[in-house]
Amino acid sequence: MKLSGVKYLANQGVENIWKNKMMAFATFCVLLISLLLVGSAVLFYMNMNSMIMGLGNQNEIAVYMDPSLSQEDVDSFAEKLKTMDNVDSVEYVSKEEAYQRMQSQISEGKAIFDYIDGYDFMPDGFSVTVINNDQIENTTMLINQDPMVRSASSSPQVAEFLRELRKVVTLIASAIIIALAIVSMIMISNTTKASVFARREEIMIMKYVGATNAFIRTPFFVEGMITGFFAGAGAFFITWAVYRAVYRILTEQGMLMRAFGIGSLIPFASLRLYVALAYVIAGALIGALGSVISTRRHLDV
Amino acid sequence: MVELQNVSVTYSSGVDALNNVSLKINDGDFAFVVGSSGAGKSTMIKLLLKEIDATSGVVTVNGYNLNKLKKRKIPEFRRTLGFVFQDFRLIPSMTVYENIAFVLRVIDAPLKYIRKRVPYVISLVGLHAKTNSYPDELSGGEKQRVAIARALVNDPQLIIADEPTGNIDPELSYEIVELLKGINDQGTTILMVTHEHDLVRHFGGRIINITDGEIVFDEIIAGTNDEPLPEEELAQTMAKAEENQPQENESGSAPASPQSTEDALIDEVIASIIAGNDQGGAE
Ligand SMILES: Nc1ncnc2c1ncn2[C@@H]1O[C@H](COP(=O)(O)OP(=O)(O)OP(=O)(O)O)[C@@H](O)[C@H]1O
Ligand SMILES: [Mg+2]
Repeated sequence: MKLSGVKYLANQGVENIWKNKMMAFATFCVLLISLLLVGSAVLFYMNMNSMIMGLGNQNEIAVYMDPSLSQEDVDSFAEKLKTMDNVDSVEYVSKEEAYQRMQSQISEGKAIFDYIDGYDFMPDGFSVTVINNDQIENTTMLINQDPMVRSASSSPQVAEFLRELRKVVTLIASAIIIALAIVSMIMISNTTKASVFARREEIMIMKYVGATNAFIRTPFFVEGMITGFFAGAGAFFITWAVYRAVYRILTEQGMLMRAFGIGSLIPFASLRLYVALAYVIAGALIGALGSVISTRRHLDV
Repeated sequence: MVELQNVSVTYSSGVDALNNVSLKINDGDFAFVVGSSGAGKSTMIKLLLKEIDATSGVVTVNGYNLNKLKKRKIPEFRRTLGFVFQDFRLIPSMTVYENIAFVLRVIDAPLKYIRKRVPYVISLVGLHAKTNSYPDELSGGEKQRVAIARALVNDPQLIIADEPTGNIDPELSYEIVELLKGINDQGTTILMVTHEHDLVRHFGGRIINITDGEIVFDEIIAGTNDEPLPEEELAQTMAKAEENQPQENESGSAPASPQSTEDALIDEVIASIIAGNDQGGAE
């Protein structure tokens, strides 16, 4: 096909949007809503996931050293800890802090502390956070193997619980996303079908004058692609605005942050490019395919 | 060239629309197809456009055997013919120019050629002033002239017209047929279905009558207002017409007076043809 032919078909696609603006607008709206539905479900899931990971990062390994060790030994052990796999941060807990922690963790029978004199009996300790919470048991075990360590403990229940939570959330989120995607597909397909149906006469006439299917479909493809592209762009800007607003509100509440690990919400800036690309590509692709597929049944004349 | 060999069409509803029809239309012919409503005329047109397939028999159009034509070859085949329908079939969202140019765009004609050819055919049908109008802004007769311009823009071997004058004023019908005749003079084969007695009487030529799915008459008749046929041809036509007369007599019609003028005889034959009176032209 000549360049002028290609240009003609592309132009037809653009013109058709204008000529059929009502239907194009309907397609645009349906695509926009579909993208927003699926997009926000995906973003919601990603943030849930990140929050659960964040909660996991609050899970620590409490390491208590052998009380007979010298300060040098303790210091060198701290260095060793820092180089271990999966160790994120190592925080020294002095005898005094350890004592206070213990005190605050015991809610009942606080009177017992009246009988304890000083905190010298407390061992030196470290509070270790890990990179991957799923591996926390392993890391704890490795630390425990060191003869200098009296005890290292983490809460395997927390790790286990968070793992399970993530599985459940992933499962539910996938189901919701798939359901939304199916609903969207149905909505989009009905809209593009209606849009093409309104022009079946035109398609039939084109077939009569000897147009090939590809020739008839190309403008529909271009048309759907452009409509989808704009729907994607629209969805992006709406998502951006809403996401930032919600993010700000949630992260402003310091207390919520600590309680639910909201501090680990994903800032939009780090998602912007991906969200934009995903929306625009998905919009253009779905728009183009939906419109082309809908022409099929009318081409058989 | 159009050829039907023992063609039958039975719709899925069980209606036998065409029944063992054989027909040959040579290149350069102009043929009227007449017959009463529901006789199967449009069915034949649909066959020739490969809109439907024959239930049995062989259909050949412009050298394409339509029984064997593959789906993806249909566009190529359709480019060898033009069509004109009662309902015009113009694309409403395109101007007159674009409707006609579309046929050339489909075959990827050079832009330069399109820019020359389209205005030329528009002027042939006398619609220069309406070049940039949309179909909705045209009268029935104008729309039909656009359809004719579109049918001839890529110089097809054959133009098929199904009641092209069905939706326009009778006076305009003559213009439309004149146009088609003019195109025919340039060598294009034309097959035109019509209900209008007067048109057939006026123009004459080859007349094919389909009744109840069968061809019951297929002869060349002189038109009342046509240039007279050459003497011998006219004599032959008359002889054939007279041959048919006795059969009519047998079935009880009044015998044609031997003194009747040629015109009157032709009128009578055509009237019976168009009435779908198969006794009139039984073969
Ligand atoms: N798509 C179809 N399905 C079933 N039957 C049909 C179909 N199209 C036409 N018929 C039937 O086939 C027969 C022939 O119809 P056709 O349209 O060929 O008639 P026609 O000669 O063109 O009539 P008219 O002069 O009224 O246009 C009729 O009995 C009609 O009811
Ligand atoms: Mg008909």
